[in-house]
Amino acid sequence: MLIAHRTAYLLSHRLCQIYRINPTSNMSLDSDKEAQIRHQRESELKRKAYRDMKEETRKVLKHARIETPTPEPDAVGLPRKRFYRQRAHSNPFSDHRLDYPQEPSCMEWQKLYPHYFDETTGTMSKNVEIADIGCGYGGLLIQLATAFPEKLSLGMEIRVQVTQYVEDRIIALREQNKDAEQYQNVAVLRGNAMKFTPNFFFKGQLSKMFFCFPDPHFKQRKHKARIITSTLLSEYAYVLREGGIIYTITDVEDLHKWMAKHLEEHPLFERKSVEWEKNDKCVQLMMNSTEEGQKVERNKGSKYVACFERLPTPEDCD
Amino acid sequence: MKHPIQILIADKSGEHIFASVTNHLLVLRASDGKLIGSWVDPVDAQEFQEKRFKARMEEQKKKEEANEDENAAKKLKNNKKEPKVPAPGPGAPTIYNYIRSLTLSRDESYLIGTTDSDKAAVIFKIDYSQDNCLSLVKRQVFPKRPCSVLTTLDDEKVVVADKFGDVYEIQGKDSAVVAEKDLVPILGHVSMLSEVIVAEHDGKQFVLTGDRDEHIKVSHYPKSYVVRNWLFGHHEFVSCLQICPFNEDILVSGGGDDYLLVWNWWEKKELAKVELRELVAPFLTDSHLPPERFFREDSPREICISKVRVYEQGDQKLLVVLCENTKCILTFSFNEDMSLTHKQTLSTTDSIIDFVIVSDAVLAAVDVESEDNLLQLFRFDDSCSLHHEDSDLTKVISKSVECEVSGRADFYPLYYISSLRKRSEH
Ligand SMILES: C[S@@+](CC[C@H](N)C(=O)[O-])C[C@H]1O[C@@H](n2cnc3c(N)ncnc32)[C@H](O)[C@@H]1O
Repeated sequence: MLIAHRTAYLLSHRLCQIYRINPTSNMSLDSDKEAQIRHQRESELKRKAYRDMKEETRKVLKHARIETPTPEPDAVGLPRKRFYRQRAHSNPFSDHRLDYPQEPSCMEWQKLYPHYFDETTGTMSKNVEIADIGCGYGGLLIQLATAFPEKLSLGMEIRVQVTQYVEDRIIALREQNKDAEQYQNVAVLRGNAMKFTPNFFFKGQLSKMFFCFPDPHFKQRKHKARIITSTLLSEYAYVLREGGIIYTITDVEDLHKWMAKHLEEHPLFERKSVEWEKNDKCVQLMMNSTEEGQKVERNKGSKYVACFERLPTPEDCD
Repeated sequence: MKHPIQILIADKSGEHIFASVTNHLLVLRASDGKLIGSWVDPVDAQEFQEKRFKARMEEQKKKEEANEDENAAKKLKNNKKEPKVPAPGPGAPTIYNYIRSLTLSRDESYLIGTTDSDKAAVIFKIDYSQDNCLSLVKRQVFPKRPCSVLTTLDDEKVVVADKFGDVYEIQGKDSAVVAEKDLVPILGHVSMLSEVIVAEHDGKQFVLTGDRDEHIKVSHYPKSYVVRNWLFGHHEFVSCLQICPFNEDILVSGGGDDYLLVWNWWEKKELAKVELRELVAPFLTDSHLPPERFFREDSPREICISKVRVYEQGDQKLLVVLCENTKCILTFSFNEDMSLTHKQTLSTTDSIIDFVIVSDAVLAAVDVESEDNLLQLFRFDDSCSLHHEDSDLTKVISKSVECEVSGRADFYPLYYISSLRKRSEH
């Protein structure tokens, strides 16, 4: 532990050194373009050093239980988003180097939710019930922690650095709220929900799945890249229990219509009424808590909501 | 010199053999090798691609004109150029005009193939009373290349799995063709599909699909929107799924792993794992190494399973296994508990492209530069051991193959299963 703290300290020290580099020295000799490239490289180095520092902290704290000694205060502060920026789109079809369990029973949930691991029996006292698919920077996930203190919520996100940001955010919140033991019930993992959802969850394990402001993939030819399609809905229906809810929200009207249409046409889903939406606390949460939702709010955009209940599996399908 | 035979299948009685060579289909009588049916795909792949490309460009242009403003706005928003459809030209990869998969309907009165050229399923009525027993019923074009097809239990529907991970169903017997835009998948994976199977349990039907991400999914049918379960056990792609005729609950699966798995798919149970590495190792060559781009000092030679079939003789049940681009056939005997015991490693003079079990023999299409013999025959003896047999049949059948090439360089790709292996990009 001590060594890890030291590394974290050294890393933050190195970060300061990098900050001090003067990107404009020798400017007279360089063309603008070269300077720009160098500047970009330096900024990326800065961001990388910051993330490395955070990574050391993460290694120390990720699996830590309450009794862990407090690390350097600087290292566990809430992470700053600008160091984790990443290209907006990730191709859900490509063969990312992903870590995923061979099957749900192989998943070591205790690594994500150490407080819910019963060491005497070697089992988890609770299972993940709420999933935020494509959780982005984790705004909703953080809200779910306190809105559903009795339930485990999981964010699934395909972009590495965005996932790391959420991870660091949760670590910091756990540290800051150690006494109240809050935020132990939320976690994030990097994964491609369109391919590997069934590797993580058993049949009927989930009671809620959120799809907040999913990537719109405007072009007709890219529609299969959308995270809600009729064929994927069958897989989501598998991991959702009967009576479970799929929540969708988007600012893109076309996408809203498209998602609602595919959910409506799917025999295992039924739309919830506007009345129901009004009274559901999760609808309220997802309206404003996600980073994307807040951006839409700032730009005074519209938000379209559609929620669907998972219907019982037909009797003739065991 | 003749192009090697690429696919071999046969009917259950072993009376008729079906073969594909490039864009040719042949039907042969097993008793004497006589050619009794044939078909040559008239679609020119390159021409088709160009036509489709032109049609797309037209469509795109029309769309752009129709919503000029909307598009402009979107473009601004995305701050990106519209990607162009790649133009086929001299630099573009060759499009091979061949038949990728071949299957018979359950009542064996229809033959169904899939073509790479125009991404279609071609369905033939088989009528042995005709001079040419094959007559084309229809040609159904799909949005993406179909990889595997099978009929439902009643042969009314043909279930087609494609490269994009989608599964479609079309009418099997009438000549009606569905417009591409009206085709709606009945289920799908977000991964290339390699094999689709329609299996039965207690009179109910299920669709089993294997993909490039090691997944085997079991869906109900016709309520294919209800996933029954997944069969987890592979680490690499799945390329073959085979239901055992002696017990339809038993499934054998294989692909890019060093092992085969035996399942009771109905009970969702893995019954046995059969390691192949040691047996196949002597037959692996440098051609089994990863492509140069991914090659590392310690890269092992990779095994890809290209076909598994069951052979029964009396109480003996055998599994016949072919690994891609190897000069051997492996056989295993099924034990009571469905574990498998290695029985024989038959080493062959040439690499085997495909094989089929015809009555009590294995007929293999071999990778040779030959004018007169493209096949080899291996017969099971009374104790179920395979022995090479010199037979006229192989030569007679080879005579019917009309695809002349000037050399190996003109062969179509004979081995492509290895390309399914995932190589990490990020
Ligand atoms: C527009 S963002 C919305 C993020 C967040 N839900 C919000 O409302 O702020 C969509 C997110 O989905 C993620 N994503 C896209 N495809 C995914 C997939 N197949 N699996 C997991 N995450 C995915 C993207 O990386 C991106 O962060």
